[in-house]
Amino acid sequence: MNAGAPLAGHFAPGTLPYRDGHIGIVELGVGPTVGYLHGMLGNPGVHAVLEELAATGHRVVAPSLPGFTGSSEPEGLRTLHDWVVATSEVVDLAGLAGAPLVASSVGAMLALELAAVRPEAFGSMVLVAPFGLWDDSDPVADPFGTTLSVQRAMLTEDTAASAAFFDDPADLPADMVVEHGVHRYLTRTAAAQLIWPLPEWGLADRLHRVLNPVTLVHGAKDRIIPASYLERWAEALPNVAGTHLLDEAGHQADFDQPAEVARIAAAALA
Amino acid sequence: MKSIFFHLMPYPELPPDFPEQHRSVWVDIDPKLYDPTVGHQTYNAYLDQLEFAAQCGFDAVGINEHHSNGYGLMPSPNIIAAALSRNCPDTNIVVLGDSVALYNPPLRVAEEIAMLDGITGGRMIAGFPVGSPMDTIYAYGQNPATLRERYHEGVDLIRQAWTSDEVFSFNGNYNKLRYVNVWPRPVQQPHPPIWIPGGGSVDTWDWCAAEDLVYCYLSYFGYKAGLRTMQGFWKKVQELGKETNPFQGGFAQFIAVADTEAEAWDLYREPAEYFFNTCLHVYAGYADPPGYKTPNTVRAGVEGMVERAAREATARREANAADAAKAGSAKPSYGSKKLSFEDMVEKGYIILGDPTQVTEQVHELATTMNVGHLMVFSHFGNMDPELVKMNTEMYATKVMPEVAGLFEDDYEDHWWPKTDHQLAPVGSRAQ
Repeated sequence: MNAGAPLAGHFAPGTLPYRDGHIGIVELGVGPTVGYLHGMLGNPGVHAVLEELAATGHRVVAPSLPGFTGSSEPEGLRTLHDWVVATSEVVDLAGLAGAPLVASSVGAMLALELAAVRPEAFGSMVLVAPFGLWDDSDPVADPFGTTLSVQRAMLTEDTAASAAFFDDPADLPADMVVEHGVHRYLTRTAAAQLIWPLPEWGLADRLHRVLNPVTLVHGAKDRIIPASYLERWAEALPNVAGTHLLDEAGHQADFDQPAEVARIAAAALA
Repeated sequence: MKSIFFHLMPYPELPPDFPEQHRSVWVDIDPKLYDPTVGHQTYNAYLDQLEFAAQCGFDAVGINEHHSNGYGLMPSPNIIAAALSRNCPDTNIVVLGDSVALYNPPLRVAEEIAMLDGITGGRMIAGFPVGSPMDTIYAYGQNPATLRERYHEGVDLIRQAWTSDEVFSFNGNYNKLRYVNVWPRPVQQPHPPIWIPGGGSVDTWDWCAAEDLVYCYLSYFGYKAGLRTMQGFWKKVQELGKETNPFQGGFAQFIAVADTEAEAWDLYREPAEYFFNTCLHVYAGYADPPGYKTPNTVRAGVEGMVERAAREATARREANAADAAKAGSAKPSYGSKKLSFEDMVEKGYIILGDPTQVTEQVHELATTMNVGHLMVFSHFGNMDPELVKMNTEMYATKVMPEVAGLFEDDYEDHWWPKTDHQLAPVGSRAQ
């Protein structure tokens, strides 16, 4: 089912046709192209990390994956394989094939899955708290068996950092408020589809295929994926270019510390 | 109107301070609270109650499915139905129902209902719920984004399996079956009546209306609060230009009958408070996983029944915690914010009174909601078995006869086992 026409609200400043619907897309800045694949919070418009990345002298292209902020409801995405194919399509649609990439959370997991089957999909990658590994001794927390306010507190260390997703502008028309609510729900649904019930789909067995240089970033106060996973990822990936633990950041460190993540990315992608 | 004696099978010995000491009665209820000896006694007491209701003349007995749940000890309703099938030879059995998406493959449901229909000689009614978020998403790990599609595919599979007279292949998105061949076949042809328990999803209204399925609202909050939901369903039926046959609707209601109203107030307070304040102590974080609702339901702002229960329980919990903090205590007292028995009755969660008063309210419920199938909760909470017996018998003998004729002259119940197709008891049950 299509969630309706592209929104004019802040969730989707731009759209691209995708299958029978559309995907949202944000593009800004001038310079070498860098892609951005969002995390659980989607792309709520022109959010801070995109501006910070653009400020480092890059043209930033940030598509919303099917079902996420500003994109229509996904059709026919039932398995992880479906999602990897969809991600590949989105990368091509956005003109990001072969470009360096900054990706976060569920987007980072999909980027790794795609890189495992399509090594040329991306150049070097900066990954913020990817999902995809699981350790019984330090399990990933459940971000969905909670109230919405708790989930918000789990996503970023500073809840104000996720305002672009959770809070509507005061002047948003009433009908758009309803639709934004629906799109928030669909975004959370799409994220849940990717990581429920446990965010582990065998990626560890495919990581040997990911030969791209990967820079890892993790929030020290990530309440979903424990900070200990930074080390697990560093051990599991074949070509790690660097690791960064950000003290005052939660799961979506790209929202908590957009300038710092952009600085790390610019250095890694130089 | 048909009256169905419905049992939730709650665990009766949760500690008095359960709401203070535990987060939720569902999903993560403390396993250490379960005493197998109590479970043994409870299952047998509840089966006795269902059998007694059948003897009292209820049109059917009804059961449902819950998982990891302190107020529902029936992870497998078909097992309970099997236990009843031999001891209730003259009563219909409503399994309301099997959470289709949780069976792999759902063909298992088609087989088991067919078995039960065979044992009972054609007295089964098959209910197919999507299942609550707590049962499906959290206890059974289903993905909320695909649950409904999986559910609908499962129901399609079951209906095809019951109606096809050929072995066939089923190529679903979630079920790949080279050979589908339900053996045994149900006694009722083409299949037992199908009822759909709903919790307020607008898309379920559409589906039931379009497919001529019974829509049952199994609310815990009574007919006054449930009216909007049932009206939503009937509106969809009308929009399709179909007859608003009350037998296409079902509703659940707590009922407390006694000789006098004063006696009813006295007798039913404790079990009612146990149910609403302890059994419904559900953590709100389990009530609304993203993807469980359809976008249309989100857009319509409809709140599901368990979502409401969880929201209210969590609000009480938070209010009590705030009160405790204000008073400088680390331990909240639930006495101050618990739902009162008076509120339960006033708001219609419980229909209470002498037989005449109860009859009037049941009549009002049936006619305002236009429902021809009433699921009667004569047992609730930790009700004493003798009181259950009294409540059951009084409803069966003094209320049911007064409401049994409702709708019967004006409408045909197309969704009820046809007596002329049923097979007589055989073997030891023939006596």
